Amino acid sequence: MSRCRVTFLPDNRTLEVEEGLDLLRVAAMAGIELKSSCGGEGTCGRCAVAIKEGRALVGQGNLSRKNREAGYVLACRTLVQGDLVVEIPAASRMAEHQVLLEKIEKKEILAEVEKDPLEKYGLEPFSRKLTVELTEPTIYENASDLSRLVLGLQALTGTEGITISLAAARTLPEVLRQGNWQVTVTMVEQDGRGEIIQVEPGRATKPSYGLAIDIGTTTVVVLLVDTSTGLTIDRAGTHNKQFRFGDDVITRIIYATEESGGQQELQRAVLDTINELVDRLLVKNGLTPGDVHSVVTAGNTTMAHLFLGIWPGYIRLEPYIPAAAVFPVVRGKDLGLHVHPEALVLTYPAVASYVGGDIVSGALVVDIANSEELTLFIDIGTNGEMVLGNKDLLVSAACSAGPAFEGGGISCGMRATPGAIQRLEIDPRLEVKLDTIGGEKPMGICGTGLVDSLAKLREAGVIDRTGKFQPGLDGARRREGNDGPEFVLSWSQESGIGKDVVITEADVKNVIRAKGAIFAGIRSLLQTVEMPVEAIERIYIAGGFGNFLNLRDTVEIGMLPDVPAERYSFVGNTSVKGARVALLSQRAFREALELARKMTYLELSLGTTFMDEFTLALFLPHTDLELFPSVQK
Amino acid sequence: MAIEVLKERYSSRIREVVLGATPEQGGTRTHTITIGGDSTLPFLHFEGEVPHRPVVAVEVLDRVPEWSPTLTKYYEDVLDDPAAWAKKAVEQYAADLIYLKLQSADPELGDSSPEQCARTVKDVLGAVGVPLIVVGSGNEEKDNQVLPAVAEAAAGENLLLGIATQDNYKTLTAACMVHKHNIIAQSPIDINICKQLNILISEMNLPLDRIVIDTSIGALGYGIEYSYSIMERTRLGGLTGDKMLGMPVFCNVGYEVGRTKEFNAGVAEFPGWGPQEERGIVWEAMTATALLQAGGHIVVMRHPEAIKLVKKNIDAMMQKNGF
Repeated sequence: MSRCRVTFLPDNRTLEVEEGLDLLRVAAMAGIELKSSCGGEGTCGRCAVAIKEGRALVGQGNLSRKNREAGYVLACRTLVQGDLVVEIPAASRMAEHQVLLEKIEKKEILAEVEKDPLEKYGLEPFSRKLTVELTEPTIYENASDLSRLVLGLQALTGTEGITISLAAARTLPEVLRQGNWQVTVTMVEQDGRGEIIQVEPGRATKPSYGLAIDIGTTTVVVLLVDTSTGLTIDRAGTHNKQFRFGDDVITRIIYATEESGGQQELQRAVLDTINELVDRLLVKNGLTPGDVHSVVTAGNTTMAHLFLGIWPGYIRLEPYIPAAAVFPVVRGKDLGLHVHPEALVLTYPAVASYVGGDIVSGALVVDIANSEELTLFIDIGTNGEMVLGNKDLLVSAACSAGPAFEGGGISCGMRATPGAIQRLEIDPRLEVKLDTIGGEKPMGICGTGLVDSLAKLREAGVIDRTGKFQPGLDGARRREGNDGPEFVLSWSQESGIGKDVVITEADVKNVIRAKGAIFAGIRSLLQTVEMPVEAIERIYIAGGFGNFLNLRDTVEIGMLPDVPAERYSFVGNTSVKGARVALLSQRAFREALELARKMTYLELSLGTTFMDEFTLALFLPHTDLELFPSVQK
Repeated sequence: MAIEVLKERYSSRIREVVLGATPEQGGTRTHTITIGGDSTLPFLHFEGEVPHRPVVAVEVLDRVPEWSPTLTKYYEDVLDDPAAWAKKAVEQYAADLIYLKLQSADPELGDSSPEQCARTVKDVLGAVGVPLIVVGSGNEEKDNQVLPAVAEAAAGENLLLGIATQDNYKTLTAACMVHKHNIIAQSPIDINICKQLNILISEMNLPLDRIVIDTSIGALGYGIEYSYSIMERTRLGGLTGDKMLGMPVFCNVGYEVGRTKEFNAGVAEFPGWGPQEERGIVWEAMTATALLQAGGHIVVMRHPEAIKLVKKNIDAMMQKNGF
């Protein structure tokens, strides 16, 4: 096999690779992430690139006629045959995910509420540093260095059965003497037992740091936390590198289980994602991996399996059994995380294959298990997971909403990153006003924008209650596209992608199915506890929508129950918040284990309730208009 | 032994729909027909009111049909003249209404112009005094030209016009609005779509008492149980207060039975099945009476003998049973 030089433009990044590799892989090796919803199957048409120079073997795939005529090829279907120069258009590139910080103050837009659940549990972190003063040994008082240290620590903390790691033991004698019998010990704790993993002479200047990590199917967020104060020092987020193996967990499980080395590749991808974020945080804050001694991750069940390298195959197959719901506690070195080798790595427990640790984490944050009021917690994402209950009962379910709200399967869909259309107005002449994230040129539509689009297209009479585009409307924006009727939200000359940003009838139907699945899930849960929609006293919405949600629109399209607005709270990324709480409170983590055990899982694929409710919900807002009294005109 | 009859009380009733208009009302019919208004399940006189008897509409086409000879022999002299056909159906076979299908408008079956179709409707209106149901050929694009023309030409007659579906309801609804007619809203054996279509139509401001629903039926042996169950659910929904389900129900029996094997196969083909015509009559009558039990208000029929049997059955079912 000969080696070929591949150069990517406009990055001007060159690397040598073996002949025969596909460009999607080569780009990833060069550190360039291309869009690929189908996981390199040649079906999503998103990884279009242009070959500027050189020879490549171009295979067949789903590439739009426009792109083909413009000279593009699909990166995943194109194999390197010699030296190449490849140009990557902005539209094919994965946007850098940015954690949205702006808060949009508008009526009926739910801004994220901030309440620190840690207050309830108190600070009791999994890792901490302790400074102890020991008496110098003498010929008469000749206990070992370690016994001396353990006794000192016991006196200080009351912790029994303290042990030491081999690496720390090796440094112990010198460090003790160097510090003149004053040392700072880094201790990790688990089930009431402590382990010394590091000793430093004298009084340490830095506290023990911990990481709270949300491993989302789409994005990964890492918080750097000072475990001595509980303060979040910094945060970083990016898209999950597993993205190139497919948009959703099912595609990824298929890749992990059917491609040779697939499981390792997926584990590598998520670890790389996390390590890059950790490195960024460490460098920015002047820290080293050795300063991080505890990690708590929260993610859905599949993400937890892939992260730990546990076989995920049976999650996908009936009867949908995960290998584990409570995960082993491992060490940083076991996974190759850029943290202290002996750092504790805890993973949030799951309820079932499709209600994972991220939901348990969210349920802990909103404290549903201690609520007097009937409370609904929903994480709106690819898998609309929800928990309904109060202090007496807890039922959970997952309805497959599909990736629409994260921009997947939508012709101009994108995640909530700069340039995404998040709000719009359509006037009676069908003229459009747009609001994009960061005020940038429109590049696509994110979940919030899709919800808004449906509400506004319907108000303007472009679509009817079934989502069908109505004939006989004037205006250039309403036109027949390659895939049927479509509506132009932004003309190419104003957009940031050099082509029109449109929403098609198929997109609209897709969003209707997604919102229908969520509402049907809520109704199915309510039916199992025999309660009407109005009985829900509190609704917490998490995830999926950037940092805010237009409640009016969401109710208007029939995605969420039509109950008074004050019952709703938007709680943002509860997965990472719960990870932080557990990192800082061992008691909170124990409660999470208990919570996961207590939650009843309702399998929606059993029986006909969910399907019946789903068909009822495929209408704007719903076939039972009475369920949406405030929407009726 | 004394028997206590359990009675269900419903919170609502099926809407009444009036078809046709007399000269005083702006039309030319000798009388109008009212359907619906029931406050109970079909024919349970002891439990609630069944104010109007179900009606039989007789099918008339505007072109010579490819029907079984066991049927066409009754209409032989009038098959090429819809007006005469309608007259015969009313005078000899006691049709309560005429169901006129403008099949010749189909581009494949004659491609009659909207004007021709409107003229046919006027001719039939001139020939009979009963109210009319008029439906298009089934070709959506063409029907969207033909039906507005018919609606306009017959303005004031308070026709029942069809067929509106979830994919094609706007033009017909608008025509019914402007020219004051009633509409048939058809759904594919799906109670949700039935309801959704009623919402869509009523949101164009056609009043709910101008909608008759066709939940789609199958003939006996061809899925009638599905139709039965959907009709029953629709009726129960309407009676328990769902105003988007409480419309009278239209059943196109003649068409469905007319395409069954039992109606069309000769004795030579299936000697064990008995004489073809008798078999066909029973098949059509059985289908119609079953669907009346499920909650049908209008049954469209073809065979004169089957019509006789069904009318006899309706007479019997409308007798109060004195509980």
